[in-house]
Order: sequence, then structure tokens, then C-alpha cells
Amino acid sequence: MGTIKAVFDYTFREHVRHKVWLSAALFGLIMIAGALVTSALAQDERARMLLDLGLAANEAIALVSIVFLTVHLILQEIESRAVFLILTHPVRRADYLLGRFFGTLAAVGLVMAVTGLAHWGLLKAAGLLEGGSYLLAWACSFGKVAIMGALSLLLSLALTSEAAAMAFATFLWVLGHFTAEIRFLADKSASPAMRAFLMVAARAAPDFAHLNYRDAWHAGFPSASWIGAAALYCVAYSAACLALAVQAFDQKEF
Amino acid sequence: MRPPRALLAAAACAALALGADVPLTRGARVFPSMSLIPSTELAAQDVAFASTGFRAAGADMAWVQMLQYCAGGLDVIPDEGGYSRLKDVALRVVRLDPSFHRAYTYAAGILAWFHGVDRPDEAAEILQEGLRNDPGQKMYPMYIAAIAFKKKGDADGMVALLDSAYDDPQTSPPMRAILANLHKSRGEYEKALAIWEDILSSDRDQTEHARARIAIPELKRLIQERAAAPRRRAR
Repeated sequence: MGTIKAVFDYTFREHVRHKVWLSAALFGLIMIAGALVTSALAQDERARMLLDLGLAANEAIALVSIVFLTVHLILQEIESRAVFLILTHPVRRADYLLGRFFGTLAAVGLVMAVTGLAHWGLLKAAGLLEGGSYLLAWACSFGKVAIMGALSLLLSLALTSEAAAMAFATFLWVLGHFTAEIRFLADKSASPAMRAFLMVAARAAPDFAHLNYRDAWHAGFPSASWIGAAALYCVAYSAACLALAVQAFDQKEF
Repeated sequence: MRPPRALLAAAACAALALGADVPLTRGARVFPSMSLIPSTELAAQDVAFASTGFRAAGADMAWVQMLQYCAGGLDVIPDEGGYSRLKDVALRVVRLDPSFHRAYTYAAGILAWFHGVDRPDEAAEILQEGLRNDPGQKMYPMYIAAIAFKKKGDADGMVALLDSAYDDPQTSPPMRAILANLHKSRGEYEKALAIWEDILSSDRDQTEHARARIAIPELKRLIQERAAAPRRRAR
């Protein structure tokens, strides 16, 4: 645990000092300011638009950041041979990987918290925050980002190129919003083999639509059991990807 | 040979995720399928928003485009006059985000009652979609009933229903303006004047302020003329 914390600390500091992190935070704030301008066009639906665009901007920035950072996270250290320096110390590969991942996730979470706080403050100050739970919307977005981070890390270790890992991560992000359509196709399919294949695909792909509370904000507040199931889903799916990433990293020969 | 611990942990976590997926899928909010979003010149924009998980933001953008279309300023979607494509433009919004209450009533109000449009069937279709996909909104059945009165030729019943919804926050500014004009066309100038004055004093109805500034003096003149007419006749 101590090793994971040490790796976590240096990864977190590394990201926060990096220009990419600052740019992401700044860009997030600019996007929210942009939403303030754009929402003026929505007449008396301004509150709704400012809320939706701000939450979407926050998630989009976090998504791009987490995919970009986790794909480079280990591969760059392998290429620069910095990983040898660390692994020659009494550091288990799994601890190193988990420390790096959680450090990156915390740095991206901090960007999300900064932009989210600015957005929430703006809505609150203007008296435009109606119903729903901003914290839950933020937490659902963070859950999606955690899953995408774990998936991108796994892809970066399983595939040989960073570009391929980023392309697959983007594909899985889109696929994760199509699971309802995949299930619909499976229901309509006459072939049992095709139905089984589609059902497996729908279950195996990350179901991001479940975590889109910000899209369902205006339809009402979810139940406590839904929140519990969503939290369990995020943790379990991310943990499964991380465990596979640990396995892939263990088997890598340097 | 025993499988590595990491793989066992991955299998256990995957089983947990699958277990959590079942209640989430059962209780998931159902959005209309992407294939149901009307195919307009802006379909690529709608699909891009929906497939990347930003349906609400996409609906907001579609809403702004609908307002531009209604104001006659959206070149991307050419109009043959009489808001010929308003139904599709409105369905874009509500199929991206079915809980966009205002989009149903705004579009239905224009299609059913806007001067020179008169397409109550299309308005009713939009409202019925609202009843199906956005249940619990009292404005949809009320507007459907008002449309039924209109089709039956029962103007009194229709205006009474619309009057009862006047103060509802879901009543759009154009709908209030339409109601004022309905009263004017029925010779109820005082009621029409009261509505326009209310519109002018309300920040929410800013988009109708310009029309209110034109309508108020005209209605005052009509009221004065009507008051003067019996006096003239008596002389």
C-alpha cells in the first residue's frame, strides 16, 4: 500500500505540474464560459441549457484528458526506459501500475472538480440550479471517466501502438452509448447465434448510458438502489479492466 | 497450473459488474432510438451528440435551432412557408431528450394556433408523443383537448382551456401571444390588452415584447373606438 501511495503521489504531482493538466482545466472553464454565452440564445430555457452544456463540457474535457494521459502513461515510460529505474527498486509491477492509474485519475478528477465547482457556482449565483443533484451528475461523469481510464490503460498495454489504443478507446466510448440499440437488435434477431453474440457484446461493452444521469436530470431523481447499482458497476468494471491490465503488464518482457 | 490471481480478480469483478448491470438495465430510462430522430439537414449533428452520450446537450442545440427556425432565420433547414418543417424540427428536440417539456408545447402551440399555420393534426401528434414519452405533464392533455375543441369548432371551450393554462410556467411566450390574438379576434379587446400588458411586464416573455409594444396601442385604440361608437349612434 505504501508503494502504491508513493507512486500515486509522484504521478499526481507530475500531472498537476504538466501543461496538459493546466490546459485542460483552463479549456474546461472557457467551455463553461462559452455555455454561458450560448445559453443566452435559449430564451427561457437558459437554465437548462447552461446546466446541460456545462456538464457535457466537463465530461468531454475529462474524457479526452483521461484517454490521452492513460494511453501514454506506461508506454512512454517503457519507451524512455524510465520504467526500469522504478522496477529495479522493490516495487511490484501491480503496485506501480495501480499507483500510476490512481494518480492520473485523481489529477483528472481534480480538473473535473475545479470546472464542476466553477459551473455549479455559476448556476447557483445566477439562481439557475433547479431540481436534480449536481453532485450525482458529477459523480456519474467521474464514474464514466474512471471506467474509460481503466479501459484505455488496458488497451495501451494489450495493443502495441498508442494510436490504436486511442482509436479503440474512442470506439468503446461510442459503443458504450449504443448498448440499448444492441439489445434491441438482439431482441429482434431471428438467429440464435446472432442473438447470443449481440447479447454478449452488449454485456461486455461498458454501458455508459446507465451513467448518463445528466441526460436524465430533467426526468426526475433516481432511486437509492439505482445509485448503489451504478456505483457498484463503475467500481467493478474499472477493477476488472485494471486486473486485466495488471496481468498484461506482468507478462510484458522488458 | 493455477490461473494467475489477476485473472481470477478480473473474473470476479466482471461478474459483479454483470450483476449490477441487470438492475441498471431494468430501471434504465428509455430514450427513443437514434433511428427515430427525424432525418433533417442537421442529422449528422444529432447523431454525433447522441452517439457520444450528450443527448441533453444535443437537444439544447436543436432547441436553439428550432427557435431560429421559428424566427425565420435557419438557412440550413429551408422552409416552404407556414412552418412546413416545424414538426420534424420539434421532433428532433424531443427525440433527443424526451423530457424537453417546452419543445412539445411550443411547437404544438404554433402548429395549432399560429396565424396562417393551422395544422392541428401535426400539433396533436407532437403532444401525443409527449404523453407517451414524457408522462406526468398536465399541459399535453390540456392542449390536446383544446385542439379537439378547435377541430369541433367550439371556440369558447378552446379559449377557456387555453386561458386556464395561461399562468402555467410551461406556457410559452408565443402561446401567450397567440392567446391574446385569439381574444382579439373574438372581440374581447380588454382581455387581449390585459395579456399583452402582462407579457410586456414579464422578463420571461421578452421575445414577445416587440409585438406587445405594437399590439397595446392598437388594442387601446380599438377599445376607445368601441366605447365611442354607441355614443355616436345615440347622437
